[in-house]
Amino acid sequence: MSVDVGDPSVKRENIVPSPRERFTRVLSVLGSLQGYIGLILIVGFGILSKGDIFWNGINLTNAIGAFSSRGILAVGETLVILIAGIDLSVGSILGFCSMTAALLLTTRDMNPALIVLISMLVGAFFGFCNGAATSWLRIQSFVVTLAMLSIARGLDRELSNNVSVGTQVVLANGHLAPNSESFQLLGTPGHNLFNLQIPFIGQVGIYYPVLAFLIVCIIFQFILSRTRFGRHIYAIGGNETAARLSGVNVMLIKIAVFMLAGMLAGFAGPIDAAYSASADPLAGQSFELDAIAAAVIGGASLSGGKGTIIGTLVGALILTLLDNVLGLNAVSDNWQLVIKGLIVVVAVVLQRPGILTTTFAYVRSIIAKIRPERGGDKEV
Amino acid sequence: MKKLLLRTLTCGLFLSVLIALTSCGQGPATSSGSGNSGGGSKTFVVGYSQSNNAEPYRAQLNLQLQHYIQQYPDLKLLPITDAHQDSTTQVSQVQNFISQHVDVLIVSPNEPDPLTAPVQQACAQHIPVIILDRTVNTDCYTAFIGGDNVLIGEKAGEAAAKLLPNGGNVVELRGILSDQPQIDRDKGFRQGIASNPNIKIIADREAKWLKPNATTVMQQWLSQYPKIDLVYAENDPMALGAYLAATAAGRANQMKFIGTDGLAIPDGGIRAVQQGQLAATFVYPTGAKEAADYAEKIVHQQHVEHKLVLGTVAVTPDNAADLYNQYHLGG
Repeated sequence: MSVDVGDPSVKRENIVPSPRERFTRVLSVLGSLQGYIGLILIVGFGILSKGDIFWNGINLTNAIGAFSSRGILAVGETLVILIAGIDLSVGSILGFCSMTAALLLTTRDMNPALIVLISMLVGAFFGFCNGAATSWLRIQSFVVTLAMLSIARGLDRELSNNVSVGTQVVLANGHLAPNSESFQLLGTPGHNLFNLQIPFIGQVGIYYPVLAFLIVCIIFQFILSRTRFGRHIYAIGGNETAARLSGVNVMLIKIAVFMLAGMLAGFAGPIDAAYSASADPLAGQSFELDAIAAAVIGGASLSGGKGTIIGTLVGALILTLLDNVLGLNAVSDNWQLVIKGLIVVVAVVLQRPGILTTTFAYVRSIIAKIRPERGGDKEV
Repeated sequence: MKKLLLRTLTCGLFLSVLIALTSCGQGPATSSGSGNSGGGSKTFVVGYSQSNNAEPYRAQLNLQLQHYIQQYPDLKLLPITDAHQDSTTQVSQVQNFISQHVDVLIVSPNEPDPLTAPVQQACAQHIPVIILDRTVNTDCYTAFIGGDNVLIGEKAGEAAAKLLPNGGNVVELRGILSDQPQIDRDKGFRQGIASNPNIKIIADREAKWLKPNATTVMQQWLSQYPKIDLVYAENDPMALGAYLAATAAGRANQMKFIGTDGLAIPDGGIRAVQQGQLAATFVYPTGAKEAADYAEKIVHQQHVEHKLVLGTVAVTPDNAADLYNQYHLGG
């Protein structure tokens, strides 16, 4: 059926997307296929080498839980990468917010829920500074966030006086203070929110960091794919000038994106403090590298406009399960670093559009060259 | 023609300012270096180059040094410089102290090789040097004050042997592999447990001195080894991280934890022994008090030991409370 695009009487809403179109739309949300192949390979390797030591609820929860704060950073980082920027300060902001959380708990005996909220506000403030400098002052995001990395780290160390702050406040009677007790639910190992029975895996404790990470991924994927804000983010990343000329408020959206990245770093701060039952003035150092690696492995392109949160989730899972499998197999830390770097490169190369078809075509041409010779031999 | 004139004048002005600055730069420095607070007695200036303020141990060292130097009214401590674990930065910071002609120079070198040359420069300028905690590859300094990490590791090993009279499985959490303290503590520990061949180190991993890394590593070990009797960590944060992981798995009461450092801070090892989380830890002395004493002796031309090796104190449940009060700064 031919549609005359210029005819106002034709209503576009009447056209129902075909099942194939729907399928393609969903598929695009899931990110690249290559990520899933990588994940399956790693899980397969884990099961083959360690069996049910690897594939059980506790180990998987531990592995994903340990990476959760970095995973949440990766979600914020993906948003920034989508608008063709980069945020190097998320690790330092996480460190600052983790220290803020511990200090609020120990000095003001605050409720953990309130602590998380304040932490998010503090993170959003840092994010606002990043966004404002990038957008209003027109400084490149790399430079701004590099400076903020240093500033936030310095403030963190000053705030803590270079001493780590424990989060387990013990009362005179030997028991933990009630707010300290509930703070543990934010991620201290062994403190699950509740327990579930999952088929094929067994008994699994629902650990707050894992839950928080998954929910953050779902919410932000929804924002990216179903809201106008998300569409605008892709537009800015794809072609900023065109987006601006089309009426997208580029400046405001850039600031908003950096604020979201900062807010997510603030959200992850208390999780980091709870995991170690203390906040370290050096917490979060080089977390931004893991966040960027997760986003890139998941298919985000550093030149902007390409990537999904679900892809980042897959990237995060790949990084943490790889760490876990290599750790269980007692591979030395040095080689783990090498392997991690190689994975990032391989993942990026495999993300190139049409890489699979090009490879097959190349392989086919080699086979074609060999075959006629074989045929020739047989004839003789 | 005018442009040329303008350019020549600017160059000339620039050069004369440069010359003025460099010649002036030497003047005030020499006069402040010899110490002249208004009034009668002479104050001596002490400069301290710290390798990394961020480490809690070093932050405590700084606090303690400031505290003990304050008790000598004729010593003045310049702001402690922080090299952020970068040897190049520390070299220029030490050279800065040398050009300020401090009366005593205290250095905690980040690494021995890069810091050897500036220390020798200080010696050549007849500035007394105290090397604190880590070594350099020269002997020209006035005094070396430091702990003995091999001894600390050995004592930890002996404590482990006492806790496991019938032998057992030990897992070891190590600091950054290339750090000298790590190498020494590991060597000492293995010597210490050698007395009982039934004590076996079944696994050791690098946790880079960090608590969350230790938690993750311990979680993996707990899922693989059904029998772990003792956890030895080369610093307290790693020991406490392992304790967290063991508590989560419900196996903390099946094993003992030994740490190292023994800082008297609320989040430190002495408190942890008091609360029963660690079986023992060993105080890694900062040497701050000794450094302050030596600085005072040096400026008054008194004799000091060329090499002062500080011992360690074993922190056990019996003495933990007392030791905390003794070492806790504030008093």
